[in-house]
Amino acid sequence: MDKQMELLQGTLDMLILKAVSLGPLHGYGILLRIQQISKDRLEIQQGSLYPALYRLEHQGWIASEWGESENKRKAKYYRLTAAGRRKLQTEAEKWNRMADLIEGILGTTAEEV
Amino acid sequence: MTMWSRLRSWLRVLLQRSRVEKEMDAELRFHIEAFAEDLVRSGVPRKEALRRARIEFGGIERAKEECREARGISFVDGLLQDLRFGLRMLHKSPGFTATAVLALALGIGANTTVFTVFDAVALRPRAVKDPDRLVGVYRTAEGKDRRAFSYPDYIYYRDHTTTLSDLAMWSGGTNVTTPDLSVANKENVPRVPGALGFQLPQFLKVGVQRLTCVFVSGNYFQLLGARPAAGRLFLPEDDQSGAPPVVVLSGNFWQSQLHSNPGVVGSVIHLDRVAFTIVGVTPVDYLGTLSRVPVLWAPIAARPPLGDATRESLENRNVPAGIVYGHLKAGIALPDAQEELKVLAEQLRPGYPDIERNNGVRVISERTFGSIDSELWPAVAATMGAVTLLLLIACANVASLLLARAATRRREIGVRLSLGAGRRRLLQQLLIESTLIALLAGAVGLPFAWWTLHLLVVEIASGVPSYWGAIALQVTPDIRIFGYTLLISLLTGVAFGLTPALQALRVDVNSALKDSGSMLGQRLSKSRLHDLLIVVQVAACLVLLINSTLLLRGSQRALRIDTGFDSKQVVHLKMLPMVGDSQARLSDLNRQLIEEIGSLPGVTAVTQASRAPISGGNRFAPVWPATEEPPVSDAGEDKRPAAGYSYVLPNYFETLGIAIVRGRSFTVQEAEAEAPVVIISEATARRFWPGQDPIGKRLVIGSVKGPAPNPGETAPFSPSSEVIGVVRDVRSLFLNRVDQLYLYLPLSQARQWASTLLVRTSERASSLLLTLGSVVRRVDPNLPVVLAPLDWMVSADPYFVISRIGGILSSIVGTLGLFLACLGVYGMVGYSVVERTHEIGIRTALGAQRQQVLRLVLRESAQPMLFGTVIGIAVSAAIARLISAILFGLNPMDAISFAGVSLLLIAVALFAGWLPARRAMRVDPMVALRYE
Repeated sequence: MDKQMELLQGTLDMLILKAVSLGPLHGYGILLRIQQISKDRLEIQQGSLYPALYRLEHQGWIASEWGESENKRKAKYYRLTAAGRRKLQTEAEKWNRMADLIEGILGTTAEEV
Repeated sequence: MTMWSRLRSWLRVLLQRSRVEKEMDAELRFHIEAFAEDLVRSGVPRKEALRRARIEFGGIERAKEECREARGISFVDGLLQDLRFGLRMLHKSPGFTATAVLALALGIGANTTVFTVFDAVALRPRAVKDPDRLVGVYRTAEGKDRRAFSYPDYIYYRDHTTTLSDLAMWSGGTNVTTPDLSVANKENVPRVPGALGFQLPQFLKVGVQRLTCVFVSGNYFQLLGARPAAGRLFLPEDDQSGAPPVVVLSGNFWQSQLHSNPGVVGSVIHLDRVAFTIVGVTPVDYLGTLSRVPVLWAPIAARPPLGDATRESLENRNVPAGIVYGHLKAGIALPDAQEELKVLAEQLRPGYPDIERNNGVRVISERTFGSIDSELWPAVAATMGAVTLLLLIACANVASLLLARAATRRREIGVRLSLGAGRRRLLQQLLIESTLIALLAGAVGLPFAWWTLHLLVVEIASGVPSYWGAIALQVTPDIRIFGYTLLISLLTGVAFGLTPALQALRVDVNSALKDSGSMLGQRLSKSRLHDLLIVVQVAACLVLLINSTLLLRGSQRALRIDTGFDSKQVVHLKMLPMVGDSQARLSDLNRQLIEEIGSLPGVTAVTQASRAPISGGNRFAPVWPATEEPPVSDAGEDKRPAAGYSYVLPNYFETLGIAIVRGRSFTVQEAEAEAPVVIISEATARRFWPGQDPIGKRLVIGSVKGPAPNPGETAPFSPSSEVIGVVRDVRSLFLNRVDQLYLYLPLSQARQWASTLLVRTSERASSLLLTLGSVVRRVDPNLPVVLAPLDWMVSADPYFVISRIGGILSSIVGTLGLFLACLGVYGMVGYSVVERTHEIGIRTALGAQRQQVLRLVLRESAQPMLFGTVIGIAVSAAIARLISAILFGLNPMDAISFAGVSLLLIAVALFAGWLPARRAMRVDPMVALRYE
């Protein structure tokens, strides 16, 4: 499983919310954080990250403010809002239920039918 | 919360657009540089690192665009872009824009005006304490559900109700005179109605001013929660018989005539020679439960001394005394109160079995200024109908303009579609254009409505003689009415923008680009909608115009109508006696006046009567030939016909130029002796003795227990009066028809409760007014008198007023409609010519004559115009039948109104079509063919 996997449709939002739930991050930091957590097994189109961030901010799930990066440069930091925290929770639950369901279906053997 | 954050982020985009862009740049640059630095740290040379970072990131501009979209920036951008484009398009065709905006503005303005007046009358809550809980209590009798209570009944309900916190009574009003206030005698002549050829009759008033005074129970102001502007308002103690007489002034009168002088409170004012103390002043425009601000408010206890009622009539359970208002107690619903009062009515019934007014009680919410009376509804509905028609014309007009425009823009839309424009976006853009037109129209229409309201209400109100009281309808447009205007304009814009927009979008890209689709094949479906719009405009316009012509011609006829008496050279002089005056004094005054006036140069005759023709004060009495059995209904009621009557001096007929057809007039001795003789009209003679000589026949007039209309006045009663003369028929009761039955009775010195002098002059009647005024002042400077030439009274006839005002209003609306319809036809033909330039060019090239081309273009609009005319005539004919009563004998199918107006409309509309059609004739085939 060394080969990178492409992101499933619609899961980027959830991953971003998860990444910023661990602490405020700038856009590049979010990218690094997701890659780090996934142990570099997920491929994320860098260009698609920012539209997703803007969309999430527009919906009020994350908020942004300008701060200083590790190497003393101005960077825009994103953090999770209360609404975003609730959203992340429901999304995660939904995902888990779906994963269980799919797993159950795929694990079905001939005898069980 | 997400709603709010979205709104905030949109607002940020709108307001700080460049900052948002800059931040986006900075953020993306930071990303790429941070990435590159990481690469440098792993050993990639700096230049190469930046390049790789950019490649890894992907298209930066695409990412930015996606970011904009994600934040809703692009939606806002598109909207702004469309708005700008829409404004540019409107600016590019100013003729179209001005026409559409003007047309809609007229329709919207007229509707807002009428809606505002309707709102002020029927929807806006009264300015009283807790208007929601204010109820009116009416007694019901068979077939009539809104009648007044007698005073004792009112007291009974007031003292026994437990569901209403209090019951107050308002009991109409009367005119009183006072010598104490020198009231400015100037009457405003209303400018606008005057300019329209109509004005309320202006009378020359001599002596003291008459003031309207209404009577209310002592608890009335408390019930309504009114606060005084000065002094105090009435208390229940003020309304006891025997209490010191008090009166409250209206704020309007206090302000305009007494300069808001607070010293007036506590002073004494003599009303009809009874001393009243002014205890307070109501706020300006305070109406209570009335529709007009009176000059004075007095307690009901003041009615007998002011002659508005007698003590006996107030105690009589048979005499209606006034309207009762109550306040529902907290937690009590209207039906509860209704139930309780019904029980109270049951309790009253056994004690007074013969009184029909105990039949029932009805409780109605009085939250608003007035539920519109049933007799007013036709006028209200007609006005609303007229302005709705106007809005319909305006909308049809704008729709046809938009439609025509959409046709010419087919090519533009085709190009945009083929370049990949989204259909939704195109629709959005077209809708924005029509919404812009509607909003502009709303913005123009609102001040227009404001202006007409001011004109209608303020000007007309200022023209009402002050003794009628002030009109205080609140008609300043409020936020709700602004909303209403906006809603109409938006609905119009969307509804009529959508049709052409959808039609334009159905464009087949290929044929639109080739621009041949609009030539011949696609004409059919489009022009059907177009034709319908023309039909609607023409028909609606014709209905307005025909009816306004009928009404105007009818009222014109009323002015020239042969009343049967000579009104041109006769002055009408009416004394308004005060109650304190004795019969002997009135008699003296009359004799003196007749003597003095009779000796004036130019005066040829002076006579006296209980009323003058067409001047109100109509009186009726049952009458029947003495030799026949009078008709009686099954229930034993008197079924004799009612005849109008007046008491006259012997020279009455000669003075008014009413010919005596048979027999003779009274003698002086007969008048003095109140002899049982009568002079009848020709119609009366025909009715009772057809084909016979009525002279010497006998009539029973009136009944022993006839009602007395005024204090001091007695109803006529004669068991057998001899007919001594027959005079020509006249119109003395109502201007719109000859009196059916009319009697003249001899006037004696003993009947002086109402006195009217009629003065005949050899010159113009109006030139005598001032001289007569000075004579009256010489005889008694305090005598209130109203003077007017008799023919002025004609313009006070209610039927005349209705038909004149109706005619003027509908002709204004109709003229606006005609103007709009012409614009519609002009626009339609104009666009059709532009659109068919190519086709016309081909036809001309193939040898078509100019006349043929003209006919071709005009025929297209002539057909729907004719169809609309037919519909308009049919609808007008139906309406004309309904209004025939106020046409003064004008045939409701009057040829001039119908044929004349229809032809005029067609001619004007054809002219409107001809103007642009001329362009078609001048089409140069070479230019037209090269047009592609």
